[in-house]
Amino acid sequence: MSGIAAKLQHNREKSRGIGSNSQAVKYLNQDFESLRDSCLERGRLFKDDCFEALTSSLGFNELGPNSHKVRGIEWMRPTELSSNPKFIVENASRTDICQGALGDCWLLAAIASLTLNKQVLSRVVPHDQSFDENYAGIFHFEFWQYGEWVDVVVDDLLPTRDGKLLFVHSEEGSEFWSALLEKAYAKLNGCYEALSGGSTIEGFEDFTGGIAERHDLSKADPHLFKIIKKALDRGSLLGCSIDITSASDSEAVTHRKLVKGHAYSLTGAEQVEYRGDRVQLIRIRNPWGQVEWNGAWSDNSSEWRYVSDDDRARLTNRSEDGEFWMSFSDFLHQYSRLEICNLTPDALSDEYKKWAETEFEDTWRRGASAGGCRNYPNSFWMNPQFVIKLEDVDDDTDDGEEGCTFIVGLMQKNKRRRRKMGEDMETIGFAIYELPDEYSGKRQVHLKKNFFMYNSSAARSETFINLRELCNRFCLPPGEYLIVPSTFEPNKNGDFYMRVFSEKQADFQEIDDPVDCHIEQIDIDEDDISDRFKRLFGQLAGHDVEISAFELQKILNRVVVKRDDIKTNGFSLATCRNMVNLLDKDGSGKLGVVEFKILWTKIEKFLDLYRERDTDNSGCMSASEMRMAVEAAGFSLNNPLHQIIVARYSEPNLTIDFDSFVSCLIRLESLFNTFKTLDKDDSGEIELGFMQWLSLAMV
Amino acid sequence: QFVPTDPPPPRRPVAYAEQHESDEEKQFRRVFQQLAGDDMEVSPTELMNILNRIISKHGDLKTDGFSIESCRSMVAVMDSDSTGKLGFHEFKHLWNNVKKWQAMYKSYDSDGSGVISAEELPNAFRAAGFPLNDQLFQMLIRRYSDENGNMDFDNYIGCLVRLDAMCRAFKTLDKDNNGTIKVNIKEWLQLTMYS
Repeated sequence: MSGIAAKLQHNREKSRGIGSNSQAVKYLNQDFESLRDSCLERGRLFKDDCFEALTSSLGFNELGPNSHKVRGIEWMRPTELSSNPKFIVENASRTDICQGALGDCWLLAAIASLTLNKQVLSRVVPHDQSFDENYAGIFHFEFWQYGEWVDVVVDDLLPTRDGKLLFVHSEEGSEFWSALLEKAYAKLNGCYEALSGGSTIEGFEDFTGGIAERHDLSKADPHLFKIIKKALDRGSLLGCSIDITSASDSEAVTHRKLVKGHAYSLTGAEQVEYRGDRVQLIRIRNPWGQVEWNGAWSDNSSEWRYVSDDDRARLTNRSEDGEFWMSFSDFLHQYSRLEICNLTPDALSDEYKKWAETEFEDTWRRGASAGGCRNYPNSFWMNPQFVIKLEDVDDDTDDGEEGCTFIVGLMQKNKRRRRKMGEDMETIGFAIYELPDEYSGKRQVHLKKNFFMYNSSAARSETFINLRELCNRFCLPPGEYLIVPSTFEPNKNGDFYMRVFSEKQADFQEIDDPVDCHIEQIDIDEDDISDRFKRLFGQLAGHDVEISAFELQKILNRVVVKRDDIKTNGFSLATCRNMVNLLDKDGSGKLGVVEFKILWTKIEKFLDLYRERDTDNSGCMSASEMRMAVEAAGFSLNNPLHQIIVARYSEPNLTIDFDSFVSCLIRLESLFNTFKTLDKDDSGEIELGFMQWLSLAMV
Repeated sequence: QFVPTDPPPPRRPVAYAEQHESDEEKQFRRVFQQLAGDDMEVSPTELMNILNRIISKHGDLKTDGFSIESCRSMVAVMDSDSTGKLGFHEFKHLWNNVKKWQAMYKSYDSDGSGVISAEELPNAFRAAGFPLNDQLFQMLIRRYSDENGNMDFDNYIGCLVRLDAMCRAFKTLDKDNNGTIKVNIKEWLQLTMYS
């Protein structure tokens, strides 16, 4: 699909709940059940023609078609690899996931954490599939992608070498859900290699739709152990890692057998009685399924001898399975970061305490809404704006200070998938302003430059950063706050998705100017027109005493070419036709003297407006000048429309010249008029048949 | 009854596209990469240069060249993310249509004048898959033809690109297929301003 209509239809479907977990969108329109049924009917195994068993599905560079790493790879089905393959044995467990030759430990750590929460796992891995019943070589998985649940179908041809799975595999080698899940996720991201080198947070979020926070353990929150315990109780997913200082450090193993630059899952937090003291312990798992910490509280350490029999029996697991305990203080000392993924209310059963959640998708576009950060006061105000109203303070406050806790997540869309094109992440962040009383409760307003000149921010994202998602926790007094997300530099195109998780219900909305038009009608009758103008008209109009679009084009271009204070390429015939259509009351397709006089008056007004708004005297409108000029001309437009004006009318350098300026304003007025004429009962909505639509849209 | 042309396929993983291309398409992708530059997107100016280069090779097509205005309009009706540029798939869709419509242009120019006259137009458009009523044909001639009712090649292409996009827009929004669409002022302006 293409065009704005596709986008509008997407918005409509989204508002009807399509894309929620219960109504996942079918990725590439592939429907699992009908594909499986048709394979069963024909007695064939599914072959996915959207993600084929070819080297191009593996990668583009290190795993690219010409790389030695992909030599000798064969694509095989589990039924060829194992005499008795299973999708999931009993229940999925953490040992089902062992890393292969791909640098996607972050993903594996996320998958491992996923197995700890059955409810969340069953959303990602639908259990209605197996190698026994209705097996047709096809499987499906559901992922969260930028606010939408997507159902992804794969065939079960997996990349192997020497009869062994190349990437994720289970410890026993006969269980395949994790390898198939990885394949589906690779398909969603374009290829396996696209999964290399991400952060566990991304995996967490794509499996849960949750929002992930990072904790820097060198500056650990004093309540961190409690936060971890609470998070585990809330079904949150947790991952941790040790920073590397140089590339050669990556996956280096310390003498304590910890792996640097590697993603671990955090799977437990307990307190035990040890030699009369309470000791806080953390359980961690290495997704490799081996290489475990050998310090205090490790599998065979002496510390376990001094805990109660109960605790020992409950907590110890002395196998080399990659999982181990360490004390919380060692954890803080050894590890650098912790990532916690908070789950959405719909991912949790009723026993859990839940966050309130709201979300929006929007876009930054060059010249219209990509305003850059606060360092760019001339354009910062053009960014999309959101308001959150905090009313109720948190129930229990750790430090006794009253406030409303909320987490803001700002995510840029689809960048990983486009990495093959060499596109990188933008640097993103946001600022939060307290809304003054005069704006209280107002939602139909886009705050302008002046507001940001005279108000300083109340809070902001910790930094601007080039990650997929930026997420920060705030605790602010009750009130209304404006949140402005942006890229660091202006004029960077981007699509983003913004979410707020709040401890208490909070009203979170996008605010924008209403779409409206209040153009003054120009009332002129023939008596008002001077003889001089009539004589001029007579000369221009020729013998039919009317001016056609063709004549109008010649006249206008003769006039504007003489002016050196305005830039223009000359009026196009299309623009002149639009002008004639707007003014032509008798349907002749031409303008009489009164109609022409009205048009002339309009153009003179446009010219005045244009020169007045061209504050830097460049002869053309910059994007921000245009935005203010459109408003001064009597139109109130929202962000999507300002974006369209720039995309449709601006030059490559984002300026708008005089003919485009006129063309835009004339078209806006015509379209508002048409809508008002058709919306007879003022319902705000018009209904159109096919031919009627074409006759309006083709003008 | 209107039969819409196939819309451009949903954006698929690049690996998929590359693997499924015929030699001709691979050639096309290489050309596209040269034309579109690093961002792999085609701006109206780039589109204008491409189209004008083609018509310069066909002396029998009467045209005064594609104008920037008409190229902006063509990009607008096909662009779904308001970036003002076309991606590979949209451009390929446009390209295939231009080729198809160019062949029809020649065969329906029955008097060999190099332009499509008001009399020739309904048949040419019906053949292109747009069986409109007379009133709409008259409107298109008023809007896209010259003072004598003749449509030259660039206007013909501009008109069909837009017509094709507007038909698909209607079908997209008429999800329940009941023959009508409902739009509010915001949707109306987004659909019609960006064209």
